[in-house]
Amino acid sequence: MSLVIELDQQGAKVIGQAPERAPLTPPKPANEGHGDVRKKIVPNVKQPTEPTNAEWEGGQYLSMQEWLDGSQEGGAILLQPADDVKKLDGRIGNAALISVDFHRIGDGRGYSHAFLLRKRLNYQGRLRAQGAVTADQVFAMARVGFDSFALRADQSADTALRSLDSFGVPYQGAVVAGTATDRADANFAARVRLLERALVEIAQRHDRPALASSLSAEDMVITDVIARLKLPIDIFTLETGRLNPETLALIPQVKERYGIEIDVRRPDEHAVAAYITAHGKDGFYDSVAARKLCCNIRKVAPLDEALNGRDAWLTGQRRDQAVTRGALPEAERDSERTMQKYNPLAAWAWADVLAYATRFDIPMNALYQRGYVSIGCEPCTKAIRPGEDPRNGRWWWENQGSKECGLHTIQNVTR
Amino acid sequence: MYCYDAVDRLIVEERVAQFRDQTLRYLAGELDEDAFKPLRLQNGLYIQRYAPMLRVAIPYGVLSSTQLRKLAEIARKFDRGYGHFTTRQNIQYNWVKVEEVPDILAELATVSMHAIQTSGSCVRNVTTDAFAGVAQDEIVDPRPYCELMRQWSTLHPEFAHLPRKFKVAFNGAKEDRAATPVHDLSFDLYRDEVGEVRLIVKVGGGQGRTPRIASIIKRDLHWSEMLTYTEAVLRAYNRLGRRDNIFKARIKIQVQELGAEAFAAEVESDWAHLRNGPNTLTQDALDRVAQFFIDPPLETWSEPASKTLAIDPNFQAWKKRNLTAHRHGDYAAVTISLKREGIAPGDATDAEMDFIADLADRYSFNEIRVSYHQNLILPHVPRAKLHELFSELDSRGLARANIDMASDIICCPGGDFCSLANAKSIPLSAAIADKLAPIEDEIGAIAINVSGCINACAHHHVGHIGVLGVEKAGEDWYQIMLGGRPDGVGRLGVLTGKSVRQEDVPGVIDRLARHYLDVRNEGESFIAAVERLGTDSFKIILAEEPAAA
Ligand code: HEM
Ligand code: SF4
Ligand code: SF4
Repeated sequence: MSLVIELDQQGAKVIGQAPERAPLTPPKPANEGHGDVRKKIVPNVKQPTEPTNAEWEGGQYLSMQEWLDGSQEGGAILLQPADDVKKLDGRIGNAALISVDFHRIGDGRGYSHAFLLRKRLNYQGRLRAQGAVTADQVFAMARVGFDSFALRADQSADTALRSLDSFGVPYQGAVVAGTATDRADANFAARVRLLERALVEIAQRHDRPALASSLSAEDMVITDVIARLKLPIDIFTLETGRLNPETLALIPQVKERYGIEIDVRRPDEHAVAAYITAHGKDGFYDSVAARKLCCNIRKVAPLDEALNGRDAWLTGQRRDQAVTRGALPEAERDSERTMQKYNPLAAWAWADVLAYATRFDIPMNALYQRGYVSIGCEPCTKAIRPGEDPRNGRWWWENQGSKECGLHTIQNVTR
Repeated sequence: MYCYDAVDRLIVEERVAQFRDQTLRYLAGELDEDAFKPLRLQNGLYIQRYAPMLRVAIPYGVLSSTQLRKLAEIARKFDRGYGHFTTRQNIQYNWVKVEEVPDILAELATVSMHAIQTSGSCVRNVTTDAFAGVAQDEIVDPRPYCELMRQWSTLHPEFAHLPRKFKVAFNGAKEDRAATPVHDLSFDLYRDEVGEVRLIVKVGGGQGRTPRIASIIKRDLHWSEMLTYTEAVLRAYNRLGRRDNIFKARIKIQVQELGAEAFAAEVESDWAHLRNGPNTLTQDALDRVAQFFIDPPLETWSEPASKTLAIDPNFQAWKKRNLTAHRHGDYAAVTISLKREGIAPGDATDAEMDFIADLADRYSFNEIRVSYHQNLILPHVPRAKLHELFSELDSRGLARANIDMASDIICCPGGDFCSLANAKSIPLSAAIADKLAPIEDEIGAIAINVSGCINACAHHHVGHIGVLGVEKAGEDWYQIMLGGRPDGVGRLGVLTGKSVRQEDVPGVIDRLARHYLDVRNEGESFIAAVERLGTDSFKIILAEEPAAA
């Protein structure tokens, strides 16, 4: 018996021993185009006569005709490409297994067999693909209803298992034809998967990437993906000394939920003391310059320090958060810090963040429930009314244009 | 223009990742040629005569300027600085490297483009009228239906290994500019008495060695069942189409052998289970895509009645030949001819593509169309700016006034690039255009199509004059066909006689054209004269002298 992959509720499992890997035909030189290709076309393809494998775990397969002629009590049926599956309508009885024989990769009749067995004849039992079953076909085969794959002898089970996950949200059915809600659901699933792909790629591409977390819902989304996929992306936060207790409470929550220790960065004590002496603890209300200085001491300097020696950083910024972020790219060059900067949630709407929070039940800052949308330092953040511009909750005494601090400067778009 | 959402984007990105993995396994020797072949074909990668060729889909021929710039960049970075636009609204790169293809696909993905199912035995890139949403004779805008079909047929798990390739086309106008009668499956869109969109379904049209005009199998399909009906057609073909002989594997043979009625009955019996099912289109689904196919903000302009412009004969000729009326009277659709002297038909360099993208930004709301005739179109140009646009095009040699004329030849890559070719087609097209140049204006509208072999990539069966390369003892010989037309119900051309040598082809066509000039009625076009007098009356002219005149 060859290697069989079976799908069930728990996922995919591999049954049987891998046979000796058949020797591989080395790839032909890339350019096969010399000479006359027409001579390579073999016009007549013989119809298959012999099954590629006549046995299953329980003995000999029965051909469709043998099955129809017999008692239909137990045993396994082997369908050939040319068989008319519809003849089995109402006569599947208690077949232990139906296997569909693929004689060539290019003969797609078996896919329609599977569709008809599942959707038209309502067959619920094991449905196997055998013969020319390669790792790269397994995904499509699973989608038409196969749940068992006897791989061709030269195929690797690992590759086949991996390929089962090729596409997260394929087209067809409700995704294309359905209602607006169907598509919205599909889009949410797709957005999550795009985020996962983006983070995996960042983790692979960089040596020391880090998420600069403000402990916002956005950052919790990213944190959740980092934790679920166990990605080597560090997480730090800028503890300005003026954060709300509700915000700070997330640090131990993250530890408890994910076992991740967020690196807490604090501002330079002397600089803070000097600021308080010169401007007063809340001197930032007096002028933009004083506010920027405070931000500088409490956030920008610690951030620079946290990023020192890294080759990439990530943020939870979104385009619709602020006028200043309308053109936010998903990847940009932070030329001041000479490293890549990623904003993997750039295209997300607040509704997507909330949907993620619900779906994955992530830790959330308690202030959100009290009308806060954008949460920063306690004295500089307030709740907003429903429908109000989110930024009205930050530095509300300043005008919109100045509401960035030098942390997220506008960068050159790289994609 | 359609704008990708997260679902579309994810599929394209995952497709790139999947193909990258497959290519790496192939190059590492883990995947043999047999297993890799269907995978690469379904990503548009052919192995050609001199190098691998990559075919990129331009779904239903609509491009944004950003996308065209990306196509230019790919030509520059990964090819030899040019691309070839095809009759199926695709672009082909003839000099790519296998190991770089995943990178090219990744670049395409950044502008919502891909090469999925541009070759292989699967549902190919969907095509339609290049003037969709613009043409005055349009009844229903086909683009939303094309986009729905594109999505549904992309990576359909059941129909990736059909007996042969499967091409789908839509027509929503009075004049069929999408050659639907020669497609495997095609739809004519119309409105019924109560204004609901319905479709006439045609199957089994095709060209190649057994050309056939498609048969109508349904006349009143409601738009919401477009996908379920297509599914039934594809299942009938996938299960019962011939697989014993590659030359008889297209659906046209199945329809021919079974008879259109029996084929339709098979489809209907399956469709009975599918209608009102999960693939039945909701109004939401149609609205979701239709919202992207709305008019750009067109304004009211008044055309300047400048005297100096009126006397510029080149401008006048170009205006006469290269404009198509727009639904909005102050605008016109401008066709940029890619049929230029000394340049292979349909070819454009990276600099030209960049240039045309800039023109699209300045004159046509960032939009470009690719036509069945292998030309590029700026669909919404204010009439008041035509002269300005003409001058810019002229300065780059892109203002040839030959649309639908003798030198606007549809031509396949042929023996210069294609490994299946019997004969060359590019140099021959140039020779034909040269020969007819003195009488081109007099002849007026005429469709000449030149294919390098029976695969008929240049649609020679439906050219008013079709030329087909056949090989004789290692030499390039050609058959010449007369009287084909791709529009309306469609008509296949008939052979004019024995095949002739390459050097004799232009002379034969010249005689056909001159005969037309002799016998035509006032204002009668070439094809109308052929149809009135019959192809035989033209054949006789050729028989009067030996072919090697
Ligand atoms: C004083 C300069 C600023 C500094 C040092 C700063 C720092 C940060 C940091 C480190 C984050 C975490 C990154 C992340 O979300 O992953 C963040 C998030 C955020 N920042 Fe800022 N920021 C500054 C200014 C602003 C301004 C001016 C606005 C709004 C106009 C703003 C709005 C946001 C928003 C909406 C988030 C997302 C999470 C949240 O709302 O808490 N920030 N900021
Ligand atoms: S947000 Fe307010 S308290 Fe926090 S660093 Fe900036 S100015 Fe200071
Ligand atoms: S018609 Fe023949 S020669 Fe021309 S491109 Fe097609 S296959 Fe090649």
